[in-house]
Amino acid sequence: MAYDWRKEEYEVTRPGRTRIDYRQEIGRAHVPIGVERGFTVVDAERAETLRAWVSALIPAAGERPAAEEVGAAEYIDATVFLTPRLRGVLLDAVDAVDRIASEMVGERFAVTGPAEQEAVLRAFEANDPLDAFPMVRDLTYEAYYAHPRVLEVLERETGWRYEIAISGGELEPLDEHLLARMREVPARYRKV
Amino acid sequence: MADEERDVLIVGAGAAGGAMAWSLSRRKVDVVCLEQGDWVPPAMLPKNHLDWEVRARRSWSPSPNIRQWPSDYPVASYGDDPISVFIYNAVGGSTIGYAGNFWRFAPSDFRVRSLDGVGVDWPIGYEEMAPYYTINEREMGVAGLAGDPWSPSREPLPLPPAPLGPHGRLMIDACERLGWQWWPTEQAIATRPYDGRPACDLKGFCPFGCPQGALATVDVTYWRKALKSARNGVDLRTNARVREITLHPDGRAKGALYYDGEGRLQEVRAKVVVVAAGGLGTPRVLLHSTSARHPDGLANSSGMVGKNLMVHVQTFAIGRFAQPLQGWQGTWGGAVSTRQFYETDPANDFVRGFVLSINPGWSPLNLALQVAPWGAEHHAAMDAHLNHEATLFCCGEDLPDSRNRVELDWDSLDAHGLPGVKTFYAFDDNSTKLGAAMIGRARELLDAAGAVSVRDFGVSPPLGWHLMGTARMGDDPATSVTDADNRVHDVPNLFIADSSSLPTGGGVNPTSTIQAVALRCAERIWEMRGELG
Repeated sequence: MAYDWRKEEYEVTRPGRTRIDYRQEIGRAHVPIGVERGFTVVDAERAETLRAWVSALIPAAGERPAAEEVGAAEYIDATVFLTPRLRGVLLDAVDAVDRIASEMVGERFAVTGPAEQEAVLRAFEANDPLDAFPMVRDLTYEAYYAHPRVLEVLERETGWRYEIAISGGELEPLDEHLLARMREVPARYRKV
Repeated sequence: MADEERDVLIVGAGAAGGAMAWSLSRRKVDVVCLEQGDWVPPAMLPKNHLDWEVRARRSWSPSPNIRQWPSDYPVASYGDDPISVFIYNAVGGSTIGYAGNFWRFAPSDFRVRSLDGVGVDWPIGYEEMAPYYTINEREMGVAGLAGDPWSPSREPLPLPPAPLGPHGRLMIDACERLGWQWWPTEQAIATRPYDGRPACDLKGFCPFGCPQGALATVDVTYWRKALKSARNGVDLRTNARVREITLHPDGRAKGALYYDGEGRLQEVRAKVVVVAAGGLGTPRVLLHSTSARHPDGLANSSGMVGKNLMVHVQTFAIGRFAQPLQGWQGTWGGAVSTRQFYETDPANDFVRGFVLSINPGWSPLNLALQVAPWGAEHHAAMDAHLNHEATLFCCGEDLPDSRNRVELDWDSLDAHGLPGVKTFYAFDDNSTKLGAAMIGRARELLDAAGAVSVRDFGVSPPLGWHLMGTARMGDDPATSVTDADNRVHDVPNLFIADSSSLPTGGGVNPTSTIQAVALRCAERIWEMRGELG
């Protein structure tokens, strides 16, 4: 039951598709969330870019942390470590983002301001033949919205009780008096 | 390599195979069942983990192409409306990832040709199915209320309906305002302790695994009983991938060749063979079981094996409300449903109809992926939607069309070198119009409920949860694969009983009907045991 895809972007499996479909690649890659880890695939300089990238996707706001604060960049790195076909896609994308930043604002992506970072990412998103942008975005969302720190803030700020999905809860049983009108309706199914 | 001859071999341990195994084994029939998947251990269920939303996208993905379990085979989708195929290959079949919507078909669903001039009639009717629906509701443990005037009179259901939640009350109020029919949805969920299973504690998001087994997945209902019911229980062999159904020289089914968990070829022989591998799996096995006698695949003299694939016209419409809605809990089998538009209405520009069922809103990650843009507006979008939504599941009937089909895919093989499958699907004009009307009514309902905005997913690509019709029942051997008793026209001791058997699919979730067909078939096999040996 996949509720999570964006309909307009969704493509079902198509043999002969030449692009690597990251959604199919990550199916067998389980990466625990909320675990301290470093980088394995990207080097220190690219890691700095990737951290800035994920925080541009989900910036800090009030109590809500930026994505880099909950390890989203390391999570992406760990995912592509388990999916070798995606490593090149990520490395090329990080390099492309830095290259665009250099061309647009004359600086590395990580050290530019929020407005410039947004402009750079929108430029990259618009010309992304390898689907690297949605891959980084979706993995960032995964790392963020499964992290206990984020879920706790969401509960305080929106009332969303994330632990109920694990521990269970209670609701009022059906009040059958609500069916009063329906019980008065004569049989309405189509006779055969 | 071969064991002694068994009474009945069942291929597939899903919704239908589990029901048949239970029904036959309680009569002391010697049953062996081959299942290409395995038992799902609790640790594998996403809902046993805090990161369940992530696991649901990966190892629990309903797409076999994404999760790539050892039991999975590749599925490719073609056509104008390529199907997003959702199946699970495990003990319990695709019920392990279902939500438990548990409808009976309406009487008219069995007579669409006679009533509306489309599709085909079933060779059996509602009255013949009703006793098996009742047995199935008892064995699965179905919650709901008898008395819906949109259904024939029936026995009380074994369990009370699930709680409504705020989303259910919104839908009831809206239906009352619009003068539409509504009724608590029948759900295969233990709303009280039942048959050794604990009561549902409303963890919600049911398709992502029910840790306590309150959701009636077939691994915790029929299989638990089938393994205990006979003297020695059913011989259920997991990780057993059937390569082909074998035949005696006289043309009767002999058994099956299969690969075991170590990849070794094994054979099992039986007096009766039943294929219950689902809307894709059944034609896959049959089409691969070629021989000089059956060069186009077993049971395929009509050419109908793999044809007439149906998936339903499905979508979600989501209303956003100003008030919070406790979206973190509640069943996902649809607390309340309306069948106001289920039957053909001459005023429409289409025939047949649809149901609308209300569920809670989406969980954070699902929601973020759907509605939250990246960047500065991200958190505001989440605040506007999280815990402020209710979701209408919309399901309508599509009709059999021989162009919609399943074929073997020799370009994509499974781990044993067996072909995957290709699906071809396109909505016809009736389905397109029905889908548009369904979305329109869903929006009308959510508006009446007070939604401040409504969005929907559209109907294409089709949600491929209900894969039906690919080895259909019928009276005419030229246009169907089996007779009314699910016996293959071409092979006297071969039966097919699963979603592929359904000549038409109604406009509701089909598991209840699939299992009723399977239970009826099991009884027919029992009654014919003298003839069948």
